[in-house]
Amino acid sequence: MTANRKVAIICSKAGLDECYPALILANAARQSGIDAFVFFTFWGLDVVTEEKVDHLHVNLAGNPASGMPTMLAGLPGMESLAGRMMRKQMTELSLPSVREMLQILEEAGAELYGCELAMQMFKRKKEELVPQVKDVITAGDFYDLAEGAQIIFT
Amino acid sequence: MSDPTKTDLAAIAARLDALTAQVARLAERGRQDDLYDELVPVMRAMMGSAMGRLDAMERDGTLAFVRELGGVGQKVLASFSAADVRQLGDAVVTILETVRTLTQPDVMRVAADAGEAIQHADTAKPMGLFGMMRATKDDDVQRGMAVMMEVLRRVGHGVNAMAAKQQHADDKKAKLAEILGPKRQRKVLGTERAAPPKALPAAPVVKAAPPAPACAVPAKPGQVAAVIDGVAFTADGNLVDAAAWTRGLAAALADAERVGLTDAHWAVLDAARADFAATGSSPNIRRLTQVAGVSTKDLYVLFPRAPGRTIAKIAGLPKPAGCL
Repeated sequence: MTANRKVAIICSKAGLDECYPALILANAARQSGIDAFVFFTFWGLDVVTEEKVDHLHVNLAGNPASGMPTMLAGLPGMESLAGRMMRKQMTELSLPSVREMLQILEEAGAELYGCELAMQMFKRKKEELVPQVKDVITAGDFYDLAEGAQIIFT
Repeated sequence: MSDPTKTDLAAIAARLDALTAQVARLAERGRQDDLYDELVPVMRAMMGSAMGRLDAMERDGTLAFVRELGGVGQKVLASFSAADVRQLGDAVVTILETVRTLTQPDVMRVAADAGEAIQHADTAKPMGLFGMMRATKDDDVQRGMAVMMEVLRRVGHGVNAMAAKQQHADDKKAKLAEILGPKRQRKVLGTERAAPPKALPAAPVVKAAPPAPACAVPAKPGQVAAVIDGVAFTADGNLVDAAAWTRGLAAALADAERVGLTDAHWAVLDAARADFAATGSSPNIRRLTQVAGVSTKDLYVLFPRAPGRTIAKIAGLPKPAGCL
């Protein structure tokens, strides 16, 4: 067997719709026998923050595919409403929630990392992150880990 | 009584009393929805037909109303049951107050005016959100809104009081049930004490299969890429025909995938084949955790490299589709 293929996925946003691609790609990699690392940085840190992970929103404003005029999409409460609706729909389709996805990823052997700089910026401590996060590392550490990997930025 | 206006008056007064009595009876009930359901036809009847004639009555003067009250009482008695009348007696002060308030000339005028608007409802134009906002600039509309808000406030206040009363009654019932509860339970205590059978953690429990997930894609018929010992394989190494699978073949396929088959492996393989037989699609990992009762983690332990695909290969199923 040749040396195992690797992917390193950078998740930099925490919209419900923006974080799923990273999580799904990481999971699909593991299912295909590919090693996967996910690096949560900047807003993406919310995805692995205990108090935020169950309340991720969907941003409709400025998104022509949402079908909602930007003027209305910017009204207060709209994105939390959209987030709730999307979560409900995903539950109906029996798709895993973000928290479940993180658990599945950990069980599947994908490695999740938080970004140290983002942690400092948002004044977060390691204890505030979900237990699936293996470590908090710098961008340089990430490159060391991801040596020889294909890098995907979401 | 020969005067048609007076006959009308009597009829209308009787009706009013009946309606008021109904309202009073409704007030006794606790259920909000009942109140709303029954109040709607009552209001409609009041607004729709009564207003025009009430207006006429008002012009005639309230003296006539008083004169007719005796006859009205008789009619009311005739058309109500004994229980109704008893309730009516209890609420008589409220009813009279309500009637008095409703029949005040000022109130009647306003009501008649509003009734007229409903009579001409067919000429009203449909109104949207912005139309509504424009309409609120009108002084009369603003005043009307204030009045309606006050009416709403009072109705809400009353309904809340009713709900609180009901809640109080429910609490009493609950307390009673609490006191009576142990006595009733004693009869079935034996069955309640029986401990629920504990699930054995060792062997994976095959759960009743949940409905096929929406993301599962029906398996496509595979193209024959190679035939080894009379068995056809696709280019990915899956069996072309799941029916050609045998347990001996599975062992050989597992060897090729470098998986040593144990009972735990077989349980997963059997669950996968059973699910394929039931749904016609090759289960992906998420589906396998559901039908085989094995955690994602254990699947990766049993089949370390690409468990979904490996299981499909060894179980003689098509390559699983879907992202999860």
